[in-house]
Amino acid sequence: MRAFTNGMAMPTVKQGVVCMHEKKITRRSFLKLAGALGAVTVITPPLRNLKVVRAFGKHSQEKPAYTVTKRIPQVCARACEADCAYYVTVGVDQATGLERALSLEGRPEDPVSRGKYCIKGLAFVDSLYDPDRLLVSMKRTNPKRGMNEDPGWVVIPSQQAVDEIIDKFKKLRREEIIMCSPGDPYTNLLCKSLGIRRSDQRTECFGTHYFINTLMITNPPNKFYSSTYTPTHSIWGYDYSNTNYMLWFGFDSFSKAGKAGILNHIAEGKRKGAKIVAFNPVKTPLADDIADEWYPIKPGTDLAVLLAMLKIVLDEGLYDENYLREYSDAAALVDVKTGRHVASQDGKWLVWSKEKNGVETIDECRAPAFDGGPYTFELDGRTVSAKPVLQLIKETVKDYTPEWAASITDVPAKDIARIAREFAKAAPKVCIPCLKRDAAGPNYANSWRLRHAINILQALVGAIDREGGVLLLNGVKIPWLEEVSPPVKEFPEQPTWSPDFRHEFPISEKIYREKDFSAPGHYGILGYGLYETDVIKAVFFRSPYRGLYSLIQPQMVEKALEKMELVVDWNMYMTDVAYWCDYVLPGGHQFEESKLDARQYYPKYPCYVGGLPVQKSPGDCIGWGAIAMRIGMAMAPEYWTTDGSGDPSKTIPTNLGERALQEQGIASSMGEFMEKGGFWMDDSPYEDGKTLREIGYGRPNGRIRLYVDDFLDVGHEALPRWAPRWTQPEGEYKFSTVITRAPWHIHADPNFLNNPALKPLTQMNYIDCVWIHPDAGKEIGVSEGDWVVLETNPRYMPKEPRPVRAKVHLSKRVGRKDCVLLFHGMGYRTKHLRVAQNLGYREGDLIPQKDPAIVKKHDPTGMGWVEDVYVRIRKG
Amino acid sequence: MANYAILVDDRYCIGCNTCFYKCVQENRLHEEASRSLHRTMVFLDQGEEPGKYHHRCMHCENPVCAAVCTTGAMSKSDYGAVLYEPDICIACRSCVLACPYKVPQYDEEAKGIVKCSMCAHRVVQGNIPACVEACPTSALEFGEAKALRAKAEKIAAEEGLVLYGVGTNVMVLTTKEPTSLGYPKAPVVTGKRSVLGEVFASLIDE
Repeated sequence: MRAFTNGMAMPTVKQGVVCMHEKKITRRSFLKLAGALGAVTVITPPLRNLKVVRAFGKHSQEKPAYTVTKRIPQVCARACEADCAYYVTVGVDQATGLERALSLEGRPEDPVSRGKYCIKGLAFVDSLYDPDRLLVSMKRTNPKRGMNEDPGWVVIPSQQAVDEIIDKFKKLRREEIIMCSPGDPYTNLLCKSLGIRRSDQRTECFGTHYFINTLMITNPPNKFYSSTYTPTHSIWGYDYSNTNYMLWFGFDSFSKAGKAGILNHIAEGKRKGAKIVAFNPVKTPLADDIADEWYPIKPGTDLAVLLAMLKIVLDEGLYDENYLREYSDAAALVDVKTGRHVASQDGKWLVWSKEKNGVETIDECRAPAFDGGPYTFELDGRTVSAKPVLQLIKETVKDYTPEWAASITDVPAKDIARIAREFAKAAPKVCIPCLKRDAAGPNYANSWRLRHAINILQALVGAIDREGGVLLLNGVKIPWLEEVSPPVKEFPEQPTWSPDFRHEFPISEKIYREKDFSAPGHYGILGYGLYETDVIKAVFFRSPYRGLYSLIQPQMVEKALEKMELVVDWNMYMTDVAYWCDYVLPGGHQFEESKLDARQYYPKYPCYVGGLPVQKSPGDCIGWGAIAMRIGMAMAPEYWTTDGSGDPSKTIPTNLGERALQEQGIASSMGEFMEKGGFWMDDSPYEDGKTLREIGYGRPNGRIRLYVDDFLDVGHEALPRWAPRWTQPEGEYKFSTVITRAPWHIHADPNFLNNPALKPLTQMNYIDCVWIHPDAGKEIGVSEGDWVVLETNPRYMPKEPRPVRAKVHLSKRVGRKDCVLLFHGMGYRTKHLRVAQNLGYREGDLIPQKDPAIVKKHDPTGMGWVEDVYVRIRKG
Repeated sequence: MANYAILVDDRYCIGCNTCFYKCVQENRLHEEASRSLHRTMVFLDQGEEPGKYHHRCMHCENPVCAAVCTTGAMSKSDYGAVLYEPDICIACRSCVLACPYKVPQYDEEAKGIVKCSMCAHRVVQGNIPACVEACPTSALEFGEAKALRAKAEKIAAEEGLVLYGVGTNVMVLTTKEPTSLGYPKAPVVTGKRSVLGEVFASLIDE
C-alpha cells in the first residue's frame, strides 16, 4: 500500500499487528511502549473517552465550514456528454471570509443526473479559481518555437490579438488555414463563411460511432441532431434503468465511472435485476461487482464475439421478425450482381412478396421473404437476381461459430453461445452501450465493423428505439446559427484538399460537405497531414477541455507547427501547445456561461435545462462566439449580418437557446425560462419506433439500414466480416496498449490535472503509472514501482517516435499478460501548469498518426486504430 | 437524536471518488488533500485481488482512538460519530498508532489529525453526510444504526456477502474477503476483552 502520510515514517497495520518501520513489535519493546503510554494515561482517568463526553450541539465539528448564500443552476457541459444539471452552491468560506463557488447540489428533476453529479463536476467548481488560469491574451515575441524555447510572451488586449490574427488570416489563402475545433455553431458558421476546413479532436472519441450510426440510422441531416454545448455525436442514449440485459464491449469503465449522468441509471437497472456481461482485457471497477460476468477478451477481437453471436441468433431464429419488417431493411432485396439495394423508380426499396410471388415496395408488403433466394424478376427492362438483406447477413456469418470466435478471443465458446441466447431471450429491453474510447468505439482499425455488428445485433432483437433498450434522440433541439438566420447567399466552396485527408475518405467527406458540417474530423490524420505537406500555413486550436494533447502522436504535430506562419490557441490554460503558438487567447470557464441544454445523453423525455453564469469571466477572457463574430465580420460580413450588408448594427442573432424555447412554446426568453426554474420536460411515455420512423432511411417510414451500400463505393463490404487488427505483436513489441483514464480526469484537461487535491488521489491510485499483470512483470524482470520505458514498434511509427517513461504498477486488474494499461491525457511539461507539470506520462506519444493510404485499407471512415499499438517495455 | 451509521454496499461502488472530493469541498480540506490527507478515499487497487478499498473512519462503537486519547480530543458522540476536537489535541499521535483501521492521519503542518466526522455539522441539522448524498450510484446509505445493521446482516446472509465493520457505525458489504482488497484485518470483538485490549493483544509478537 502506498503511504499517504505526507512522507513521515508511519506504522503500518499488517494482519492486525502494528508495525513500526516494518518490524513487528516484540513483547519487550511493546512493554516499553505501553509503559510510556501508561505514564501518559495516568494523567487522565482510564476508559474516560470510551463514553460520551460531549453533549449534542457543543462540538466544533458540528459547525459547518461554510454558509450557502446562493444556488445557481448550471449544466455540466464540458467534461462529458452526460451534461448533468445541478446547482453550483455559492457561499462564504469561513476560512477566508470570501464569497465564492463552493460545491454542487443536485437537481433531482433532471432526468439525466436525477440529483447526482460526479467528481469532475465538483472539480470544475474549484477550477474556477485555478491560479494557473489564463486571464489575458499572450503574444510571442521570440519567433523560435519549441518546448525548450522562451516564447518571450507579452500581454496584449484580447480584441487586439484577434484583430492581429485577422490581419494575418487576410494575407493567407483559405486553403492555407485549418480550424481545429469541434463543430459547434460558431465554428461551423465561421468555417463555412470563410471557406476554410475544419478538423477536430473527437475522431478518437466519437468518430466511429458517429459515422456508422449515421450511415445506418440517422441519415443526416437528422432533424433532431443539433448543436449542444458538448457536441457528442451520439445519436442515442440507453435505458439503463429499465433494461434486462447489457453487453459491455470495453465500455471503458474507469472513465465512465465518472459519469453520474449514466451511473445512477446503471445502478437502478442493476438493483432491478439487469444482467451485465463485460468484455474487457481490464477488470475495471465496474466489472468488480456491477457486471455479473467479466471476460478478459483479447484486445481488438470483440468483433469475433459479435459475429458469432449474430450467427447464433440467426441460426436459432432468435430475432424479432415483426420488428425487422417494420423498422429495418432486413427484407430489402440486394442485387447479387451489383451488391446494391434494389429500388423502384421512385427510390423505394423492394422486397420479395411471398404472397404475390413477386416484388413489392418494402412499405406495402406485409409478408416479405427474409431469407432464401436469389429471387429473379424483371425491373426497368433488365433481369435482376436478388437476395434479402437478412439472407446475406446469414451467409456472411455462417462460418463464424462460437468455437471459431473462442480461438481468436479467448472467450469460451459455450459462454459466447449462452450469452447470445440470453441476450436475445431478454430482448427487446436489452442494449450494448458504448460511449467513446471503447472497444466498440474508434479504438481499433476493425472497430467500425464491430459498431456495425453491434447495431445489427441490437436491430435483430428489436432493441433500437425501444424503452428498456436503445433510446433515440427525441423531438427537441438547439438550432444552428444558419437556421436562425439563413445566409443570404451560398457559402463558398470548401477547399478540395484537407490537411486531415478527409477528402480521401468519401464517406466522411460527403457527410461533412453535404449533410452535417459538424461531423468529426480526422484528427488522427491531421498531424500526419501537417507534417508531411506544406499547404497549411495557419492552425487555430480551439482547445478548452480537449486540447492538442488529446491527440495521438502530438510530437508529430509539434514538429509540423514549427514551420507554420501562424499558430493560435484559445484555451483556459497555457498548455504545452503554447510553446508553438504565436497567440494564446484566454477562454472563459463553463460556469461563466449561460446555457440551454437538450439532455441528449438520456433522451427518453424531451427536456431542456438552463444554466446561469456563476460569475463573469475574469480578466480579458474572450468568448468563442465573440472571436468567431469578430473574425466573421472582418472577413465575411455578408454571412454574419442578417441582410448580408455587413452593417455592424445588423449582426445575426445568436440567441440560439432562446429560439429553441420560443419554437417549442416554452418561454419567450431565456430570462423568463430561468425565472420559471430553468427546467422543462415532457414526460409522456416514450413511443417505441417513433423516432426511427421520422429520421431513418427510406422515409417517410424511416428504417434502420443494416446493409450499408456506401461501403461498396470505397472498396469495403456492406456487411461486417471478420478482420484482424491492423498490427500484430512482433518480438519484444508484444504488449497491446489498452487506454483508459481515471474517473476524475477527462481528455487532457488541466481543469482536473492541475487540481492539487486530485493529484495525490491520482498518485495513490497508481493512475500515473503503466499497469501490467504481475506475471508479465515477472517475465520481463520488472517489479512494482520500477521505472520503465515504453516504445512503439518502429515498423508502425517510423517517424518522430517518442518513448514514454513511467513507473510500473503490477495489477491483476490487467486481465492478460499481453496488455499494458495506460491512462490518457497526462504528461504535461509546461511550467505554466504547476500541479500538472510532470504528472504521469503521455500515452498519446506512443500512438502513430495515421497514414491515410494505410487507413483506407482497413477503415473507410478513417476513424480507428488508436489502440492498434504494440509496445515493448524495458526497465529504464 | 438517533444513533446513526453508514452502510457501504461495495457492489455498487465504482471507485469514482466523488465521495472523496465532496468531502474535501464540504469540509474545505483542499489544502490537506493536496498533501495526501483525506477523510475518505476509495482505493482502486490496493489488495492482492482486484477490488476497492474504502479508507474511512469506521466510527467504532467503542473507539480505541478515544480510549487512548490523552486529552479527550477524540470522543464518541451519542449519535454515532467519533468526533475530533483539534483545539485540545496535543499531537501525541496515540490514535494514529492505536487505530486498528489505520484511519487517523497526522497532519504535520497543522499538528493535528485528519479524520471523518460523519459530517456531524450536517447530521445535527437533520441532513445526511455529504459523501452519502453525493455518491452517484447510491452505494452509501445513512440511517439509524440498529436498523441499518440489521439490513446489512440480512443482505450479507441472503447474498453471500462479507460484512466488514462489526462493532462499528460504518459497515461495508463486500463480495470478497476484505483483507484481500486491502482492508486491515478487523479487530475481533469477542466481548471478552475491550477493543483496546484486543488491539494491545494483537500488538504482541508471541
